Amino acid sequence: MDAAHIRNFSIIAHIDHGKTTLSDRLLHRTGTVATRDMEDQLLDAMDLERERGITIKAHPVTMLYRAKNGETYELNLIDTPGHVDFAYEVSRSLSACEGALLIVDAAQGVEAQTVANVHLAMKQGLHIIPVINKIDLPHANIPQARQQLEDILAIPGDEAILASAKEGIGIEDILEAIVARIPAPKPTDAPSFQALIFDSYFDTYKGVVILVRVTKGELRAGMQVKLLHSGRTVEVKEVGSFNPKPYTRDRLEVGETGYITANIKSPREVKVGDTITDPRNPSAELPGFQEIHPMVFSGIYPINTADYEQLKVSVAKLQLNDSALTYQTESSVALGFGLRCGFLGLLHMEIVQERLRREFDMDIIATYPSVVYRVLMTDRTEKEVDNPAFLPDVTYIETIFEPIVKAFVICPGDNIGDIMALISEKRGEIRHTETLDARRVMLTCKIPLNEILIDFHDRIKSITRGYGSMDYEPEGHEASDMVKLDMMVNGEVMEAFSALVHRTKAEARGRTLAAKLKEVIPRQQFQVAIQAAIGGKIIARETVSALRKDVTAKCYGGDISRKRKLLEKQKEGKKRMKSVGSVEIPQEAFVEVLKTN
Amino acid sequence: MPATPAGAEPVRSLYVHVPFCAHKCEYCAFYSAPPSGDVVNRYVAALVRELELIAPDCRPNTIFFGGGTPSLLTLKQWETVLLAMERLGLTRAGEWTVECNPATVSADKAKLLRDFGVNRISMGVQSLDEQLLERLGRIHTRDQVFRSFDTLRAAGFENLNLDLMFAIPGQTMALWQRTLDEALALGSEHLSCYEVIYEEDTPLFAQLNAGEFDVDEDLACDLYDALIDRSSAAGFRQYEIANFARDRRSNGQGPMTKAPEPQAGELVIGNGPLDLPTFACRHNVGYWRGLDSYGCGPSASEYVRGLRAKNWSNTTLYCEQLEKGRRAKEMAEALPPLGRAGELAAFGLRMNRGWGFAEFTVRTGFDLRAGWQSEMGDLIRCGWAAVTGDRFHLTRAGLRFADSAAERFLRPEAL
Repeated sequence: MDAAHIRNFSIIAHIDHGKTTLSDRLLHRTGTVATRDMEDQLLDAMDLERERGITIKAHPVTMLYRAKNGETYELNLIDTPGHVDFAYEVSRSLSACEGALLIVDAAQGVEAQTVANVHLAMKQGLHIIPVINKIDLPHANIPQARQQLEDILAIPGDEAILASAKEGIGIEDILEAIVARIPAPKPTDAPSFQALIFDSYFDTYKGVVILVRVTKGELRAGMQVKLLHSGRTVEVKEVGSFNPKPYTRDRLEVGETGYITANIKSPREVKVGDTITDPRNPSAELPGFQEIHPMVFSGIYPINTADYEQLKVSVAKLQLNDSALTYQTESSVALGFGLRCGFLGLLHMEIVQERLRREFDMDIIATYPSVVYRVLMTDRTEKEVDNPAFLPDVTYIETIFEPIVKAFVICPGDNIGDIMALISEKRGEIRHTETLDARRVMLTCKIPLNEILIDFHDRIKSITRGYGSMDYEPEGHEASDMVKLDMMVNGEVMEAFSALVHRTKAEARGRTLAAKLKEVIPRQQFQVAIQAAIGGKIIARETVSALRKDVTAKCYGGDISRKRKLLEKQKEGKKRMKSVGSVEIPQEAFVEVLKTN
Repeated sequence: MPATPAGAEPVRSLYVHVPFCAHKCEYCAFYSAPPSGDVVNRYVAALVRELELIAPDCRPNTIFFGGGTPSLLTLKQWETVLLAMERLGLTRAGEWTVECNPATVSADKAKLLRDFGVNRISMGVQSLDEQLLERLGRIHTRDQVFRSFDTLRAAGFENLNLDLMFAIPGQTMALWQRTLDEALALGSEHLSCYEVIYEEDTPLFAQLNAGEFDVDEDLACDLYDALIDRSSAAGFRQYEIANFARDRRSNGQGPMTKAPEPQAGELVIGNGPLDLPTFACRHNVGYWRGLDSYGCGPSASEYVRGLRAKNWSNTTLYCEQLEKGRRAKEMAEALPPLGRAGELAAFGLRMNRGWGFAEFTVRTGFDLRAGWQSEMGDLIRCGWAAVTGDRFHLTRAGLRFADSAAERFLRPEAL
């Protein structure tokens, strides 16, 4: 297809605002998928994606649309991950597009997640087509939705297309707008073939399938191409597009999106954002490439220590389709062997854990998550610390910088007091407050990432009884008075509970953890001291009193065999216990505390 | 049942289970049922049959009739059992105990038992507080305890045991001390005192789980301390976690029991703190020392020449098997020598005297100092055990943790 008849676009929407339904409608209306093949949520292939209504991987799909002007256009919808955890992937997917549909629920209006994604799309210079969806709902408020587009996103409200994806209203208008408003792709002035890698996935038979957008020249099977950042030159085996199932084509022309395979077995060799080009006469790399850096780290341990090997295999398999996930072996006195995993953000962390549980049937526990701190040493060198256990000795530390995010919280006006209190409890600073409509306000604040890791989102949901929403984007690092809080059992540190916390939070957290540990650590034949400490200083203490006896009163001939079996079982059980400072603690106890953390 | 294998000694210990109770106690997990219809007579016939089967290989030094409630058998039924035992040569035991419920002791029954050679009665007193007796679901009253005690003495029993329980829900220190003082004042030769055990499938366990009461561990420990102190002041010596006995009376009134032949250096009675008191229950000591023992009656366990077996816990099933002329074993397992040695090491430590090193080797074929050195070291270091002379034994503190100690000595990997 000539570039003038190609349109590349993505869809930006908050969960449940109708992105998937609209995508399905477009596929159907363009005849890409026949009605009988319609399956709910065609694009979200993973169960988890369907269930949570989020997209984790990019899913490009190519549609042919015969417009009212009588000409046929190739519309490439690149469905992108909807969450800022995947901001980099999103930015790469967006840079494969010239435009985006912005979907806003006519009843609910603009949500926090939409704001973050629209900011990303605008940074990429995409043309945005606002769509007000669900106009058929009885409580739809179209004028208000238009107003919010203007007030919050600075998008002219009268440009919005009114639609109901569910009822099939406005689909034609949307398709026409894509053709009319989104610019056709323009080739770059590269001297040779050039294409952008905007995602990849692993196929058991074909190896790594690379999703590309051709920015110059054309791509055919049999070509030798070079991946600039990984430095590899490979022969293209197959070229194709998606409908949404993959199908082979003889070529991808400039402006088109699709996939290639090249017998690549290791997904790590294919970096999102990389440029592929002609190895003999390489073009320049496309702008915006970054190596992916995890933002959040957490230890993942098998509940049953014997499952460690299985966990390793499972995580390695997961990584095939999730190259942003990093991991390395770690071991903990409390939990045995596990993996320290790096994630792009909270949602990514949750998704990985959830997939391990569901798809791999792993029984796992995660340690308290940590963000990546920058530590300025007294010798002026800088270190990155993502595991509290590896924090250098405080006497050599000049300053600790913690990652900060800009968070958008949208909540009903009635809850603003509680939300402000929550933000301030989380060491956040409110920058401004905007009234969105009669009902809702949006708070924009600066907040340390480490404060929103655990329960920030849940608490917003509970304060607002489900009506609040939150999203965030990274905003660098700031100097902060962080201290390492250690939990000790009879003087021995349990790394699984160590965390870097702000000095003002250390005591409260220490107390809470000590109290929880006291509940779960079984009484021993001696007294057990549970202490929370900063450096050498004890800030909280609980005591588990010593057992005074452990003996069965009666044991005669008939009881011996039964009793022996009982004790043998106990003895077996103790093998699974972890010995911390001579205190024997069942792993379940640690798991219990980590769960309620 | 074949006779004693050539070159082997006949089995010297016999346990008989009488699986009937007028009323099941709240705490009891032993097998028993109400003595309804003709089932008791049927049981008596089956038991006689079983005794006939084991008799060729059994010359008991000790016999123990437990239950259930052995005293619930009628005079006639007892006579049937005793006559059969006499006929089978099973009546010449040095120590022959029958458990009695204080509500079911009669002068006639006591005399009958005594005439056939029973010389020790164990009375299930549990408490002398009426309310606690009711709490436990016992059928007897405190007055019946005193009357039965006198009846037994009058019948000529000079070796009596009282079973007592402590840490009964609702029992205070004052109530326990009163029961203890009154029981001690009776002047029995032996005391067995158990902390209440909450066993699954008992009403008491269900009540505990339902939160009807709490277990007060500190109180239980204090009650146990009071028991050790008071019984000792009254002339008893503790020889096992729950067992206390007097020594031969200084006035020359010796026990009825003839001291049995010492076996492999065992059962040596003396006055040292690690020696057995005169009135220690030899039958039970035999279990803790690993002596072979036959078990007859429903649910009875036995251990004979390396084979542990257990009869069906169902009287009808038991009777049916014996009526066909075979023993009613539900299971039998052969214990490998190391597994058995670990078990004996473990349970032998429940006795104050622990294990003599030579004695352990004779009993098991293993050397405690070679195979369990690190376990012994651990216990000694934390003050739970000591080596006195050539014996390894738990200390007063260690006896409180005998289960933890036992656990270390087991060798499940050998089983």
